Amino acid sequence: MAGAGKRQRLALRIAAIPMALLGVSCLYPIFFAVNNSLKTRHDYLLDRFGLVVNPTLDNFVQAWTRSHLDQYFLNSVIATIGAVILLTVVSSLAGFALAALRFPYRRFLFVVILSSLMIPVQVVLVPYMRTMVALSLINTHVGLILSYTAFFLPFSVYMMTSFYSGLPRELIEAAKIDGAKLLQVWWHVMVPLGMPALVTLGIINTLNCWNDVLIALLTMQKNRTLMVGISALKGEFSDQIPLFTAGIVIAAAPIVILYVIFQRRIVSGIAVGAVKG
Amino acid sequence: MARVELQHVSKSFGSTEVVHDVSLSIEEGEFAVFVGPSGCGKSTLLRMIAGLEETSEGDVLIGDRNVTDDEPADRGVAMVFQSYALYPHMSVADNMSFGLRMTHRPKPEIAEKVAKAAKILRLEDYLQRKPAQLSGGQRQRVAIGRAIVRDPQVFLFDEPLSNLDAELRVQMRVELSKLHKMLGNTMIYVTHDQTEALTMADRIVVLRGGHVEQVGAPIDLYQDPDNAFVAGFIGSPRMNFLTATVQPGGKLAAGGIEVDNPTRVALEPGRVLQLGVRPEHLDESNGYGLDASVEFVEMLGSTSYVHATLPTGETVIAERRAVQPRSGERATLRFAPTSVRLFAEDGARIR
Repeated sequence: MAGAGKRQRLALRIAAIPMALLGVSCLYPIFFAVNNSLKTRHDYLLDRFGLVVNPTLDNFVQAWTRSHLDQYFLNSVIATIGAVILLTVVSSLAGFALAALRFPYRRFLFVVILSSLMIPVQVVLVPYMRTMVALSLINTHVGLILSYTAFFLPFSVYMMTSFYSGLPRELIEAAKIDGAKLLQVWWHVMVPLGMPALVTLGIINTLNCWNDVLIALLTMQKNRTLMVGISALKGEFSDQIPLFTAGIVIAAAPIVILYVIFQRRIVSGIAVGAVKG
Repeated sequence: MARVELQHVSKSFGSTEVVHDVSLSIEEGEFAVFVGPSGCGKSTLLRMIAGLEETSEGDVLIGDRNVTDDEPADRGVAMVFQSYALYPHMSVADNMSFGLRMTHRPKPEIAEKVAKAAKILRLEDYLQRKPAQLSGGQRQRVAIGRAIVRDPQVFLFDEPLSNLDAELRVQMRVELSKLHKMLGNTMIYVTHDQTEALTMADRIVVLRGGHVEQVGAPIDLYQDPDNAFVAGFIGSPRMNFLTATVQPGGKLAAGGIEVDNPTRVALEPGRVLQLGVRPEHLDESNGYGLDASVEFVEMLGSTSYVHATLPTGETVIAERRAVQPRSGERATLRFAPTSVRLFAEDGARIR
């Protein structure tokens, strides 16, 4: 018994090596960015891989003010919050309908939504842009919020539908007999019971919206979001790596914080969709 | 309180008809039980009364009002589900008051009704708990409480005791019967358990394959079944059926003996019929005697079930209270002429 335990432990240690390498490859760029964002331009040129000696917050101040990251940050926050709220409400309503209600062409509709998951954003860029221009939604927050909602909705609906399909039908039937109208059933039964999935979905959508460059680049050409702004910094300040890395840290910080807080939810939530699909 | 009437109702899922032209009326204040094997359409019928399934054809009347096209909430019914269907995120009190809150009833009225139901069901100490913190029996009582507070005209129960263990089931059976006496509402109860049906019902509706086989008081179904299916389904262990051939003199040859025709109907010699005798009636000291060899004996304490083989090769079960034979022995299983029930080739009763 003891021998088997030892052998197992050895196997685990060997398996840990590639894991550790993977971990380092993920963490090093973050370390590189944080480390260099604290250096002056001069210090960076002297030693770009060494640890920071005289830390300074100058780069952050400069990026925030001179490079308009404050405005970009605000744009990202507005677009992300708006889209996440809209996505949550719409996907939970749609998931409720697709999972629990009976109406004609329900399965067909679900398949259409699923199949739109398979279409990459790039394929529909031209018709998408023409639509946005025609609706005068270019360079507006509303336009960006609607775009994010449209692009991330299929996955959200899919996930909420599979989650709600796992709930017992009797709960909805009991509510119906109790005299709850459809929207009341949704609000009093489906939303509270769907909370685990909705929170996870909210986090995943926050990541997607916050990290998006392509859609924002097209939709908000004059008024950039943070990710677009950071990409642009690369061109404008290619010799100012510390300033650039400070921008990266500002952009990544909210997501990293969110991830640390909701770590468990993110992992378990991805499994929710996987198991019950 | 109201009577419930089904007029020629049918239900199809796609092209499969699961309930065929059922007409039935359940009187005001009656405790009616729908019983039958799984897939007989009893739950579907109940759900049609509740409005959870659309009625493909026919009409559903509750209290002389045609509710066929009404929403479940507008029918004046409350339902208790097999899975309880309690809202897991709400406290017991919130679960019970859900229906009243949804219809925007005044707060004092809600509080009063919940308190009253909690008192009836002895749930006062659990009002603030979540369903997950309750035992199966308590959850069941909350589900019943949720029905009571709505003051429905008709209570519908869909196999409410199936998820409980045997002991609790017996206890809840008694409590439900008491509750019915106290409230006096019309109740319709679905079960596949004939014991529940016999013990609780004012009237039993036996269903098979979407058809009503017989409707009647428990004692009538037990003593005077309309057909071999009802005779076999009601009563436990089930009735023994022996192949009976009509002899030239009008007597019946069954199980190795000859039996007088128990009916006033003249039977054509050569007909092959079914003769039914209940296990509990094979414990007489005189009457007809079946010569049987005992295969094995199930001891149940006060009584035992004797599984035996007849000279014809047919097996029968006899319930024995006093003298209990052992396996391998021969025994004479006696039954009174009055306990014989005769069924035709198609299963219909010959009276």
